[in-house]
Amino acid sequence: MKQIQGSYIKGYVTIIVKGRMPELFFQQCVNNGISVWNVRREGKSSCSGNIKLTDIPQVKQLRREGDYKISFDKRRGYPFLFSRFLRRKEFVLSFIMSVLLILFMSNVIWKIEITGELPKEIEEKIATQLNEYGIHPGAFLFTIDAPGKIQQKLIDDIPELLWVGVHQKGTTYQLEGVEKIVVKKDEVSGPRNLVATKKGVIKKMYVSKGVPKVMVNDFVKPGQLLVSGTLNENTNEQGDTNKQEDEKEKPNPILVAADGEIVASTWYEVDVTIPLKKNYELLTGNQEKRYYIGINNFKLPIWGFASPEYKAIHQDNKETSLNFFKWTLPIKIIESTLSEKQYHELERSREEAIKDGIKQAKEELQLQLGPDAKITSEKVLHESIENGKVKLYLYITVEENIAKAQPINQGD
Amino acid sequence: MKKIQQRLRPWLVKYLSLPSDVVMELPRITIIGQLHVYIENHKGLAVFTDTELRLKTTKGYIQIKGSSFVLKMMLPEEILLEGKVTDVRFIPG
Repeated sequence: MKQIQGSYIKGYVTIIVKGRMPELFFQQCVNNGISVWNVRREGKSSCSGNIKLTDIPQVKQLRREGDYKISFDKRRGYPFLFSRFLRRKEFVLSFIMSVLLILFMSNVIWKIEITGELPKEIEEKIATQLNEYGIHPGAFLFTIDAPGKIQQKLIDDIPELLWVGVHQKGTTYQLEGVEKIVVKKDEVSGPRNLVATKKGVIKKMYVSKGVPKVMVNDFVKPGQLLVSGTLNENTNEQGDTNKQEDEKEKPNPILVAADGEIVASTWYEVDVTIPLKKNYELLTGNQEKRYYIGINNFKLPIWGFASPEYKAIHQDNKETSLNFFKWTLPIKIIESTLSEKQYHELERSREEAIKDGIKQAKEELQLQLGPDAKITSEKVLHESIENGKVKLYLYITVEENIAKAQPINQGD
Repeated sequence: MKKIQQRLRPWLVKYLSLPSDVVMELPRITIIGQLHVYIENHKGLAVFTDTELRLKTTKGYIQIKGSSFVLKMMLPEEILLEGKVTDVRFIPG
């Protein structure tokens, strides 16, 4: 039976043989290696049987040799079904259309989800902001930027957001936001002292609550008490010697949340190295765009062929892959931006390098300390030139708030 | 030569118990009830009608009679017959 297995897939035909002793024609077929099945005697001079579609040329050859009349009766199997399907143009057309439609639908944003415990206004703000970037239900996936870029843009454009996570999950965009204010509210508001975070000399004091423990021009060490939150501390201190007895008699200490600003001048020693030669690249603003269809590593250009006459080119590729349902097709649309760039070389004198170095060190320090700190003076302690680089050892004094809240342990 | 071979073959079958259908080129006929007849090692079709199937063999013909015969499968040396079998007869040729 193995010979006739799978004949439905390859297709088979019922033939009717007419002539004298029609069964002998089938014997001839079998002798030539054509498998025949379901042979039936139809009448005195006719016989029917099934043969495979692929054997038909051979059967026709045999027909020429003998004097039998052969007619094809029924055509069965997949190839016939398929050709019948192909013959109906509207059917084929609608099939192609539906595949295209699914392809199209798979590459459109259907939904934007904003999660995270955000107030309504911010959620709406995000939604309108996304709309501005062109991200809304119905937008094409390959026209919008990568999630990382959107994340950056959102944080820049909505100051209330501390962080936002953007995920693209198939045809939905998921955004998870964290509000900035929520974190600020977390700060402890209980009785507390203010202590120093750094060593320094106090320049200015403004105490709104609490008892100041230091004076202007005092030198303080890190961890030293600056403003006490205990108002009637003296009575408490006396009782410290024999605490257990006195605790019941003495009134409880009045505790407040000490608040204030203690500005001290602090100092930093910073190392900087600045090269005398400086190379940098600059984009001129001239750019051209090209589009490719990418399959694996192969890129087929579809738009933009001429190579621009730039001396140096900076290339930026943006790849968007097509989706089919939940699967990502291996086909990508690649948009590459070619921008002209220029190399600049700059040589600095020693004085310039030192100046740049100091500027750079100050900027770095300012970034580290925050915008409230004020850099008052800087001094070059040591400088040396090695391998075309200037090495600086700087001494920088800064005026900054050194107070830090420290909750008072109430002992319970 | 041929005579020696012909005499040798029954001897081989008898004493070395080799399969007789292979050694002596005889048809092997398997009958399943009245429904199926499976014939191997035949030498070709002679007659096939609704009620009769006649096959050539090395020594004459095999005649199978019955009704509503259909050849379910035809291969160079095998035939599977389906129908209602009533007779199997060997006709010396």
